[in-house]
Amino acid sequence: MAEDLVLDTAIRDWVLIPLSVVMVLIGILRYFVSKLMRTSQLPDAKIVKEGQVVIRARNLRAAANLIPLKSFRSRKVYYSNEENGLLFVPKGQAPNAQAQMFSDPNMAMDMMKKNLSMIIPQTLTFAWVNFFFSGFVAAKIPFPLTQRFRSMLQNGIDLSTVDVSYVSSRSWYFLNLFGLRGLFSLILGEENATDDTQRMMQMSGFGFDPSKGLSAEKDSLDIVQHEWALPKIEQRAEAVLRKFVG
Amino acid sequence: MVGAAEEAQLNRLENQVDNGGGGAWEYLCLVRKLKVRRSEKVLKHGLSILNDPKKRSKLGGDEWTLYEQVAIAAMDCQCLDTAEDCVKALKKKFPESTRVGRLEGLFLEAKESWADAETVYSSLLEDNPLDQVVHKRRVAMAKAQGNISVAIEWLNKYLEIFMADHDAWRELAELYVSLQMYKQAAFCYEELILCQSTVPLYHLAYADVLYTLGGLENLQTAKKYYASTIDLTGGKNTRALFGICLCSVAIAQLAKGRNKEDKEGSELSSLAAMALEKHYKQRASGKLPLLTATLRNLKL
Repeated sequence: MAEDLVLDTAIRDWVLIPLSVVMVLIGILRYFVSKLMRTSQLPDAKIVKEGQVVIRARNLRAAANLIPLKSFRSRKVYYSNEENGLLFVPKGQAPNAQAQMFSDPNMAMDMMKKNLSMIIPQTLTFAWVNFFFSGFVAAKIPFPLTQRFRSMLQNGIDLSTVDVSYVSSRSWYFLNLFGLRGLFSLILGEENATDDTQRMMQMSGFGFDPSKGLSAEKDSLDIVQHEWALPKIEQRAEAVLRKFVG
Repeated sequence: MVGAAEEAQLNRLENQVDNGGGGAWEYLCLVRKLKVRRSEKVLKHGLSILNDPKKRSKLGGDEWTLYEQVAIAAMDCQCLDTAEDCVKALKKKFPESTRVGRLEGLFLEAKESWADAETVYSSLLEDNPLDQVVHKRRVAMAKAQGNISVAIEWLNKYLEIFMADHDAWRELAELYVSLQMYKQAAFCYEELILCQSTVPLYHLAYADVLYTLGGLENLQTAKKYYASTIDLTGGKNTRALFGICLCSVAIAQLAKGRNKEDKEGSELSSLAAMALEKHYKQRASGKLPLLTATLRNLKL
């Protein structure tokens, strides 16, 4: 029975193509809107400094054996003493990410802008698709698929007898939503593509606390044992020279 | 750092462009990508593109990049009129841009109108107090005027925030050396060794500074760092070989009487002397007698 299903060409002209075109246009529009709303946020001097301190301390830890003991000790004290060491974070002063978000309205504002430019067009288009095109078959894939793909391709049609290779209109919307990324990177340039999936990942990573990095770095610096590598290198140099001369 | 393959490609392209074979734009792009300093060629070929409206319009948006490149090259060649034209064109196109602001500051520096450049830079810093390029320009400006101590002050302020910037540490070390403040320079070189522990030049420079500082302990440390330079370069660094010889002589003089360590050190220095002789034999056999005389004077 499934083979007999004939799709009206009007469906192609009035559903399939318009849906894709609208999705592309909305993607482009969203790109420009978010470009307009984006504020070039200046990094905070303190955060930049903390990042740099962590890098420098990491370098010290990695190459500690290459500098004399005296130099290493003075640096270690400079980083991790309990009064004004660079890596020392006084207790209770560590800024809580949550609290920081509330205290800094810019941050919340920024997040909201990002979310708005992402969520509003998505809900609107979803509502639009749902209202006008819900519940009918819009396309057919030229190859057969297993039953598992039914929820992906036939969202909105609750018929178990329709062959899985038919795509419902709502599923076509979802396929477009996630599949147009390549097209956007072609139109808008490589890194400008509005990539929802990546943005969602970023959201979940929000709340990184730099002071935690500082104290973690301090702990690992504290347990570094200094063992000067240079005396050994002297012997190695001797071997090198012997090989060269001999 | 420019790799050998890239350099060969660059030279080939330069040759081609010089002989009228076309490809000027590709050459300029490569120069920009590799960040090499060939200002005269860039000025010549860049101007030939800029003065030809047809070629220029073909570049589209890259036209402005070319303007910037030519402006910097012109400043390097002291063609200040050309530089001024380029900067003006850029300023007309991008009146609010920080990048053009920096270029303008650079141009004022080239004209040696230091006060004007300073005002430009400080207004740029007001917009973005963490602009690394502008901070560095200020240091360079103080250095160009001969105020080394002011340059050091600026650089220290810069390093207080951007303390992982090894180029800045290197600059600071060189400035300290030029003022003969060797202890401070030694600190900077230690920092550089920490950052990039496989660069032999930093080990060498650190050893030089320690040797200059003198004192038994410093000399022994210096010798160790000369040894590590030899280790890193595979014994090919002549300066390090000489350093070993000089250090062991100085240590032997200072440690006369307490002869506990000079036995193990003597082998390294005699090996270094032999390696030096071999180097001179291979590369500059005419100067070999000079070397042997020097080494004999050092009693090696």
